[in-house]
Amino acid sequence: MAKVRFKVNGKLQTVDADGDTPLLWVLRDHLGLTGTKYGCGIAQCGACTVHMNGAAVRSCQVPLESLGGADLTTIEGLAGNGGGKLQALWFDMNVPQCGYCQAGMLMAASDLLRQHPKPSDDQIDAFMSNICRCGTYPRIKAAIKRAAGVSA
Amino acid sequence: MSAGSIDRRGFLVTTAVVGGGMALGLSAQAAVPGAQSVPWGPDAAFGAEFSPWIEIAPDDVITVRVPTPECGNGAMSQAAMNVAEELDCDWSKLRVAFASYSRDFAEKGVYNTGFLSFFSGHSTSKLRLQKTLQLGASARERLKMAAAARWGVPATEITTANSVLTHAPTGRKLRYGEVAAQAANAGLLTEPELKPQSQWTLLGKKSPPKLNIPDITHGSAVYGIDVKLPGMVHAALMQCPVHGGKLKSHDPAKVLKMPGVRAVVVIDPAKTVGAKGKTASTFGFADSLCQSGVAVIADHYWQAHKALAALPVEWDFGAGAGWKDAEAVYTAARAKRDLGKGQVIRKLGDVGAATGKRSVEGDYSTPYGENAALEPLNATALVTADSAEVWAPTQDMSQAFWVTVDETGLPPDKVSLHQTFIGGAFGRRGQGDDVRMAVAVARQFPGKPVKVIWSREETFRQGRYRTPVVTKMHAVLDDATGLPQAVTGDVGYAGSRALFHMPLGFSDMPWFNNGVIPNVRLTSSAVPVNVLNGAFRGPCYNSHAFVVESFIDECSQVAGIDPLEYRLKLLAGWDKSWSDCLRSAARGIGWGKALPSGEGLGIAISCWPVANAHNSGTVVACAARVSVSKAGDIKVMQLDTAFDCGRIANPDAVRAQIEGATLFGMSVCLGEELTIKDGMIAETNFDQYPIARMADCPQINVHFDALSGHERLEIIGEAAVGPVQPAIGNAISAATGKRLRQTPFRKADLRWD
Repeated sequence: MAKVRFKVNGKLQTVDADGDTPLLWVLRDHLGLTGTKYGCGIAQCGACTVHMNGAAVRSCQVPLESLGGADLTTIEGLAGNGGGKLQALWFDMNVPQCGYCQAGMLMAASDLLRQHPKPSDDQIDAFMSNICRCGTYPRIKAAIKRAAGVSA
Repeated sequence: MSAGSIDRRGFLVTTAVVGGGMALGLSAQAAVPGAQSVPWGPDAAFGAEFSPWIEIAPDDVITVRVPTPECGNGAMSQAAMNVAEELDCDWSKLRVAFASYSRDFAEKGVYNTGFLSFFSGHSTSKLRLQKTLQLGASARERLKMAAAARWGVPATEITTANSVLTHAPTGRKLRYGEVAAQAANAGLLTEPELKPQSQWTLLGKKSPPKLNIPDITHGSAVYGIDVKLPGMVHAALMQCPVHGGKLKSHDPAKVLKMPGVRAVVVIDPAKTVGAKGKTASTFGFADSLCQSGVAVIADHYWQAHKALAALPVEWDFGAGAGWKDAEAVYTAARAKRDLGKGQVIRKLGDVGAATGKRSVEGDYSTPYGENAALEPLNATALVTADSAEVWAPTQDMSQAFWVTVDETGLPPDKVSLHQTFIGGAFGRRGQGDDVRMAVAVARQFPGKPVKVIWSREETFRQGRYRTPVVTKMHAVLDDATGLPQAVTGDVGYAGSRALFHMPLGFSDMPWFNNGVIPNVRLTSSAVPVNVLNGAFRGPCYNSHAFVVESFIDECSQVAGIDPLEYRLKLLAGWDKSWSDCLRSAARGIGWGKALPSGEGLGIAISCWPVANAHNSGTVVACAARVSVSKAGDIKVMQLDTAFDCGRIANPDAVRAQIEGATLFGMSVCLGEELTIKDGMIAETNFDQYPIARMADCPQINVHFDALSGHERLEIIGEAAVGPVQPAIGNAISAATGKRLRQTPFRKADLRWD
């Protein structure tokens, strides 16, 4: 067992659980933040993407014991962390279908735009490696470009 | 991009400041959540009830209760749009909520309207559309009556718009919410007539985004896996990896002392209690039965997951383990097919009478495939001695409800079902086998809500997979025209579940029905296999379209006729919209233009769900531009799709479905294949089962100019999965001269120099 202190969406949290518990399940089961999704458990699909100290990580691969002092943002906190514009475009451009992957997509997209404010197609393709089974990729790409103000 | 081409701004005031940081769109939506995201409660009252479907609150918020769950296709938002067309209401104050199946049962079918009433789709089918429009019209007239009574004026002098009632002669106005309570009790002598389609202002004209999107983008939409209940525990599940096998032994003592572990339970299919009385499930129970398995119940999912991995388990795999690999299954299906004893499913003329000198032959196949919805299978159940309550991302509320009745043996009035949002389904969540397993686990831990989660690996191993087909086609071409004089086609299915041996896209294709090919004989056979086959977005159609349209392409090549021209000749006398779709897709891709070596164009057409009647189904033509590198790597560069479903209700929702189905079909034919090792599925996660990602996406163009305007508003989610696969295969043939008769294409050696 490990007792670990870290920040989620600006709020200090202390979680006492098995040290190998992935951040994904810490968020979902221990903190009740179910916006972060379980999709594959092996860092393939990206549905569990959150920001750790400002950068996108796949939370299924981050154990609780490594979280001491970390500053985390989840989809529930994205609007308060500069994500409102992307979220508004996701609505305006009718991006989601089933929506299950979209929390991870939004978290990845917002980090992409932090690193590359005017991303090229290749940069978007390389960075946005999350899986969407419904096939919303063209709309995600268009929304990212509109957010960045680059031509579609 | 579609969103730019459709003016929503006059419609959705909420989009006015998009791009300006905190969008008004979202704050407005937050004030009035667009969709009920905490779905439970006993059909909670939101306002004055006009019907089980509609409530209007004093603050003008209108709630539409919808029996067709939302799996990504917009089924719920579409129901609201239908109501709004006649209700003249403020869209920004409209919300949707899940209808209660228990209420439907208690009140004898109040939500039961038309085909597949509780399935996540068909929201614009004839009866459903009529019903939801009438609900809106009826509520509007009752609001007028209530206002007329308050003002002492004739109701005929009152007009409605944007949730406001106006009496023009005196300039008086009332909001809907101000008279809702009186209006809900007002009775109409006769139901109002509906507007003719030509006067629709919303349907077919506007494209409101789905009402639940703000919940999705803020992480507050509740999917099945997100359900939180007081006292809830979590279960990790493992069923026999060889379908049909049985648990032989396990050793709970090895894990019961692990942190958080509460219990280890065994699921025994023989212990299903069985429904005591009449049931009304959508699909029956045959494809929903329990599999033998074991589950660990713990305080948290990760604890259950770890303990399950540590649990010693031995299985009696049974006869299914005799299938050494997938090839053995396909070989058996071909052998059965080639006995010549298949059931004749289409016969026209006499195939033996053909006299042409040229013949075309091909043996095609498609493999097992996994639906791979991104939300892993799950459901939550609370079972007590005399009741059961289930929370599930089911594709069909009626099926989930009655499966629970059957598994527990409880009377239906003691069972309740709470629908959640669905993280993808594609046919996997229709039969209720997931719900049954969760209930079977929870029954053994009574009095506590148990959330049962299939790991991704378990979801892969316990699929109800795309039915493999092996199909032999043969044609004799007319010496003069090059068109087939005779076609024989023999399809062999692998799998024991006969519901998913569907001939759609095969025997109903116009090629085999419109008489242009005078002699046709098609047969069907199947081999039983322990590996469970099931529904997969456009069941079997998604394979048949590949077979038939690759074969027609081969015929055109042997005849020396352009594949587009060839199909247009075969469509002589058939619905013009089929030819329009082909021409539109061909125009979009630049059919006939010169291309660099290694590139090719292909075209194909198919229709779901019914192709052999005039003005039926959704017809989709797809044209593909593909490049194949010298190393043999396939790159799909562009896909142009044109369709005819008659008319459309929400243009952008239709476009989104066609984009998604096109990418789904592309992913399936390029890379997706499950294999078998000793009776069990070998691929268990996305690293072994490549699904198309952003970098794989071509330019996709969806063309609306082939829409016929016929009065039907056909279903749109499945059809486009069909033609994209043969279009890509045909383009590969054009690019390389190599004909691919099996998917996935990326397995083929396409190197050239």
